[in-house]
Amino acid sequence: MDETPVEEGGAGSPDAAPVAGISGRARIARIFVAMPPEVVLIVVLVILGFIFWQGSEFFLTTRNMRNVLLSVSVLGILAAPGTLLLISGNFDLSVASGAALCGCIAGVVAEENSAAAAILAALAVGLLAGIFNGVLSAYAGIASIVVTLGTWLGYRGLARLFSNGQTIRMNGKVEFITNDIFGVPAQIVMFVLITVLAWFVVRYTRFGRSVYAIGSNPTAARLSGIRQKPTIFVMFIVSGLLAGLAGLILASQLDAASGNAATGVELEVVAAIILGGASLSGGRGTIPGTVLGVFILGIMQNGLTLLSISSFWQDVATGVVLVAAVGLDQVRLRLSGS
Amino acid sequence: MTTENGALNKRLELRATGLRKSFGGVEVLHGVDITVKGGEVLALLGENGAGKSTAIKILAGDYKRDAGVIVIDGEEADIRSPRDAGAYGLRVIYQEFSDAPDLTVAENLSLGRLPRNRFGLVDWSRVRRDAMEILEKLGIELPIRALVGTLGVAERQVLEIARALAGSARLLILDEPTSALTLEETDALFAFIERLKAQGVAIIYITHRLDEVERIADNVLVFRDGDAVAEGPVSEFGRKEMVEAMVGHELEEGVASLRGEGHEIGEPVLTIEGASSEGVFTDVDLEVREGEILSLFGRIGCGALELAEAVFGLREMIAGSMRVGDQSGQPNSPKDAIARFGIGFVPIDRKTDGLLTVLNVAENLSVASWPWMTKAGLLPPMATAKVFERWYETLDIRGKGGATQIVDTLSGGNQQKVVLGRWLERQSRLLVLAEPTRGVDVGARAQIYQVLRRFADQGIAVLIVTSDIEEVVRISDTIVVMSRGRVVARHRASEVDRAQLIRQAAEDTVEAAAAG
Repeated sequence: MDETPVEEGGAGSPDAAPVAGISGRARIARIFVAMPPEVVLIVVLVILGFIFWQGSEFFLTTRNMRNVLLSVSVLGILAAPGTLLLISGNFDLSVASGAALCGCIAGVVAEENSAAAAILAALAVGLLAGIFNGVLSAYAGIASIVVTLGTWLGYRGLARLFSNGQTIRMNGKVEFITNDIFGVPAQIVMFVLITVLAWFVVRYTRFGRSVYAIGSNPTAARLSGIRQKPTIFVMFIVSGLLAGLAGLILASQLDAASGNAATGVELEVVAAIILGGASLSGGRGTIPGTVLGVFILGIMQNGLTLLSISSFWQDVATGVVLVAAVGLDQVRLRLSGS
Repeated sequence: MTTENGALNKRLELRATGLRKSFGGVEVLHGVDITVKGGEVLALLGENGAGKSTAIKILAGDYKRDAGVIVIDGEEADIRSPRDAGAYGLRVIYQEFSDAPDLTVAENLSLGRLPRNRFGLVDWSRVRRDAMEILEKLGIELPIRALVGTLGVAERQVLEIARALAGSARLLILDEPTSALTLEETDALFAFIERLKAQGVAIIYITHRLDEVERIADNVLVFRDGDAVAEGPVSEFGRKEMVEAMVGHELEEGVASLRGEGHEIGEPVLTIEGASSEGVFTDVDLEVREGEILSLFGRIGCGALELAEAVFGLREMIAGSMRVGDQSGQPNSPKDAIARFGIGFVPIDRKTDGLLTVLNVAENLSVASWPWMTKAGLLPPMATAKVFERWYETLDIRGKGGATQIVDTLSGGNQQKVVLGRWLERQSRLLVLAEPTRGVDVGARAQIYQVLRRFADQGIAVLIVTSDIEEVVRISDTIVVMSRGRVVARHRASEVDRAQLIRQAAEDTVEAAAAG
């Protein structure tokens, strides 16, 4: 059936024949290939939104949207540096453990000291955690996935040590971190600011473009005079620092710190970034894509809960969406390659 | 199966006639015949681009032939894929190894057809027994339990051949097998080839080293510009005849020369004295001046490439001095070479070393200039787009997507122009290019030469490392011939012809070998 040329247009010259022969299917394929990957994600998001809206009246209310934003803000804050790292071909699997560790440090310090001291201590530990990851990954030449797999375990262990395996009550001491700013919860404001900043850095700074260059081809980047080690080091430091911030937000939200906080979030971060179009082999990925990935994960969780689907099925559904979205993007890439 | 002299496989007779092949409308192989029999070594001789590898890839099933017939053992052979070729007993041994370096020698010899016992598990004792049997039959000693990655280059080459023969190959095509070997290793390989010959294996030996042809081959077939121009027993050819056949008589005509004759050559830009690097080049003196295009001509492995790497700070020199303009010393990194010395480097493998493959054309053009394009760390897309505007006409970069096209989707020639443009944008005063037109089509090749000449005329010094004789005579002002890590000759381009250069590289190789 592909043989049948479309009748209208350019039947005259033999040169026009191939053009006239483009079938409707090929045209759709071409549009599919030409559109940015974010469009696919927006379509997925809209479809999910429509389904949940049909299933629950509460879904599209301001209050519920605020809930979604609240629930994804920590994920979003961690995914911003994670995106840069993955574009450069690196991973930070220790962010969730780091957040738990920083939360526990804040809890321990807050018992005897001021809230300011607790916050400073938490951010300092986050910074140290990032420096440790960065030194080993960038300068000692150990693959970052190995380094942060080690610190994923190590930081989690330290968090439980500092908290004695118990939940540390904060007695409202750091609650103000997540107070509203002009009516918007502070963690949402931070999520937005950090995302915008990351987007700007990735798109408009030499640092950001170097990150792409390194991920695209490390050898070529080096031969072009790009300094790889400091670039990677800085990303790990930022990642550690933001893990500290995430730990504080969690402690503030729950008014408690726990060595078990944010368990599994590191993989949600990776899932959101991959969903957003980043490639595991580096060189590809965008901040808007990651934000959409974060929202897809958040809306799945929120919507499925509203439809009172069991959390086990929620995990299955999220897994399916992740593989399907990435698979669709692969199809797109393959079509554009041929 | 096994004949009286211990051959593994039945002798083969191959007769290919009228092989033709075109790429993009340009015919690169104009109907050549190749004949080879078991127990015989046929040397395929020719310069780069003469059509040797195209012909070989047709036999190996890598390329589909446009015309021609391949007859094996009297029957027409239907070869459409490497798999088909393998079924007829044809195997090409390329310079890159196709073994599994993390597995043992024994397992590599059974790769893809590991014997299994009655439980369906791998029969390891048989794997080792088979391996020993094959190696013994071929008269090779290799540690069968050793990991292949720990073997030397020559041993791996021998293993590669053994694997082919274990897989019932009857015709081996060896693609410049000695290019990475030392003299002793070459001797060992030749002894091995003699044994294979005695066992009835047919061998096509691709090379451009005349001394090797005389040592190992029975017959020689010379390619030039896609034609088989001479053929016969090696004994009937002198070295002079072979060179003449390779180069042709109408030497200097035909190709438009881009030599900068008559133009001003200025102050020295790069000066190297007594440079040595462990085991790759020794005591090299070199001077490249403003406006000069200097070619370092030599066979692969002659040390010229390594010298270029040292100039760009990728390889340490153990002795000697270097200066570029007012900066003396050796760059300690590419970054240093670019920023302090003003050197631009076009690597030999643009795909793995040159291109930021998934970034766009504008970014690839500008990447080396980012440090001075940025203000307060900012690098907006408009800035890189401007760089593209500046170069796409000069370099004639042809891509549908303009500045934002992903560079990976450009053709090889256009990609090379982008890598070259990167250093022009950076305003390098010394350009070092390694095999700058490898894998580049004829049109883009001419454009690259023109651009190089134009910028040389504006005062840039250009150092080209190449094993392509055409390139040398077309573009250079000065030619320095290297062999076995040493400079063996220097010429003004106007004072030398192709035949002389080729003879020099080849003959001096022999002399150096005799001396060492």
